[in-house]
Amino acid sequence: MTIRSYVKLTSDRIVSDRPVPCFSGTGRELLLSAFRASGISYPKFHKMDTLSKAGFLATEILLEGSDGRFVPREDRAVILFNSASSLCDDRHYCKTIADPGNWFPSPAVFVYTLPNIVTGEIAIRNKYYGETCFYVLPEPDPESICRIVSDAFQDRMTSSAICGWVDCTDDDTFEAVVFLVEDCIYEENALHGGGMPWNMENIRTILNK
Amino acid sequence: MENRTVRVISDNIVSPLGLSSGANWQSVYRGRTCLALHEGLWGLPEPFCASLFDRDSIDGECSGAGLPDGLTFFEKTALLSASAAVRESGIDPSSESVIFIISTTKGNVSLLCEPGEYAPGRETLHASARLIAEHFANPNMPVVVSNACISGLCAQIEAMRAIRSGRYDYAVVTGADCLSPFIVSGFQSFKALSPEPCRPFDLGRKGLNLGEAAATLVFAAEECCSDSAKNSWIAAEGAVRNDANHISGPSRTGEGSFRALQYVMEAVVPEELAFVNVHGTATPYNDEMESIALSRAGLSEVPVCGLKGYFGHTLGAAGVLETIISMKAADEGCIPATAGWRENGVSCPVSVSNECRRTEKKTFVKLLSGFGGCNAAMLYRKGGER
Amino acid sequence: MNELVNELKLQLIDALNLDGMTPEEIDDNAPLFGDGLGLDSIDALELIVLLEKNYGIKLANPAEGKEIFRSVVALAEYVGKNRKK
Repeated sequence: MTIRSYVKLTSDRIVSDRPVPCFSGTGRELLLSAFRASGISYPKFHKMDTLSKAGFLATEILLEGSDGRFVPREDRAVILFNSASSLCDDRHYCKTIADPGNWFPSPAVFVYTLPNIVTGEIAIRNKYYGETCFYVLPEPDPESICRIVSDAFQDRMTSSAICGWVDCTDDDTFEAVVFLVEDCIYEENALHGGGMPWNMENIRTILNK
Repeated sequence: MENRTVRVISDNIVSPLGLSSGANWQSVYRGRTCLALHEGLWGLPEPFCASLFDRDSIDGECSGAGLPDGLTFFEKTALLSASAAVRESGIDPSSESVIFIISTTKGNVSLLCEPGEYAPGRETLHASARLIAEHFANPNMPVVVSNACISGLCAQIEAMRAIRSGRYDYAVVTGADCLSPFIVSGFQSFKALSPEPCRPFDLGRKGLNLGEAAATLVFAAEECCSDSAKNSWIAAEGAVRNDANHISGPSRTGEGSFRALQYVMEAVVPEELAFVNVHGTATPYNDEMESIALSRAGLSEVPVCGLKGYFGHTLGAAGVLETIISMKAADEGCIPATAGWRENGVSCPVSVSNECRRTEKKTFVKLLSGFGGCNAAMLYRKGGER
Repeated sequence: MNELVNELKLQLIDALNLDGMTPEEIDDNAPLFGDGLGLDSIDALELIVLLEKNYGIKLANPAEGKEIFRSVVALAEYVGKNRKK
């Protein structure tokens, strides 16, 4: 398996082997400015919770300009991990039911109280009918991430995956490290793609960039 | 290594209907349910119909089972179920060859609204998973699958893969969720709840009921099974597919469910199936979508059954609980009755019944769908090779 | 009436996160769902919450929303007739 490219987007920077959009500020301001600078027309972005925005935007940067973008496909999985689950949005939802005298539970907030919604947002945007799954770990453990994503390729349909660590503790503190991984043996000097092998060392290096 | 056969070596269900898989299956067989209308509970302004645990009796069971003090209610139900299944399996849970996989949507989320005496951080899903793994002195990093309502099948698929790849020999999969104002009010805001016991696939269905449960399956690689387990249920195939359509509304074409079904049916013909145990939440859109997916997958003639009329929708537990009931039913040659169903209310033909039907077949499919557009199907068969 | 139409437009923009839109950009008579403003089923549920929160109007059945949410003008007419606050 080969890592074709990666993006690391955090509250204050974006690091990638792909072209990175201009941005200003930090936290939610960074997300909005980078989204605007990338020139994507996708009004639904503004309805997403911060976890989804971070995962969505990092994936947009990862895939921008790639061949056959938006052609429906079933062979690409979206497999993401984090440690805070959807707690940031969970807290927002709690506020809508905190006061019995002002009890207005919000469906638009509630729907994001599941961490896997971000995988659905990415699948919807890119027309991926493949596997989508979300795992919660105590920490960004390269061993678990490497094993679970590698195991996902046991599905005979799956030939590539968007995968990585997408975590959000509050609306200004988030981290999205996404990889495009393909089911082919890594060859140095390969004619197509390049990249690096999908293994614990490389995952750790990119997570720590 | 990727050809290892993965078998079920023990199971448990803890639900308002009973504290073992057998007791729960007997309740289903006899048509019992704990679905009831709750008015004014937890200060909720609107009543809701749900299947809820008796808190005091669970506390009593925990003391009896020797579980530690200071557990949250969610942790109690999960540990009760995991302990019973691990004990029955005879495995050494402290071994490096065992992985714990927890399936839950919201875990301890109620602590966000009412933290009580618990330390900050206890509300995270991984804190619950760690607590469960540490209870069994398991040395591996526990994994939580939180993939909405299909978590229970995703966790089993991950267990199957982890054993097939040779990385682990055993996997303990525990699915659990308990209800609180957080979850109930959210489903109310979605106008998704039925004011009466739900009626899967029925013409008059009005929505879903929520339910509480914890359920555990212990899986093992074939070569690690005792002789008595060599004829047990096999997790044969599993697939997860997305609708790529909407984050909360089911696909009008049943896209993800159809594709997941198509994948797991590659190695079998419809005639081999005893039944498909559907998601069957009894919301108008879900059941309609499933009928379309089943029809597209060529499964219109295969008997279909849904269990939400007994347990309600048990969220992260559903995939594990409904798989176990399906196994117990097929063991006894039964296709479980779909409680609440009277008259077909979906556009594609489906073979549903509110009475228990007989079958000699020992192969079935479990189907689930969830928010985020995700869908999962698993194929199980009993006996020989996979 | 015009005042209520404008007020509702501002509330829509805020509650449904219609980022960057101004009230002038929302056509009074264009459909809110589908091709018009492009709202979806979650927006419809959120609109039900908005009606209850801001105007004391309880819609038990989302299906009732179909007529009411036809356009901003239709919504304003309904709110004008049924508001309790």
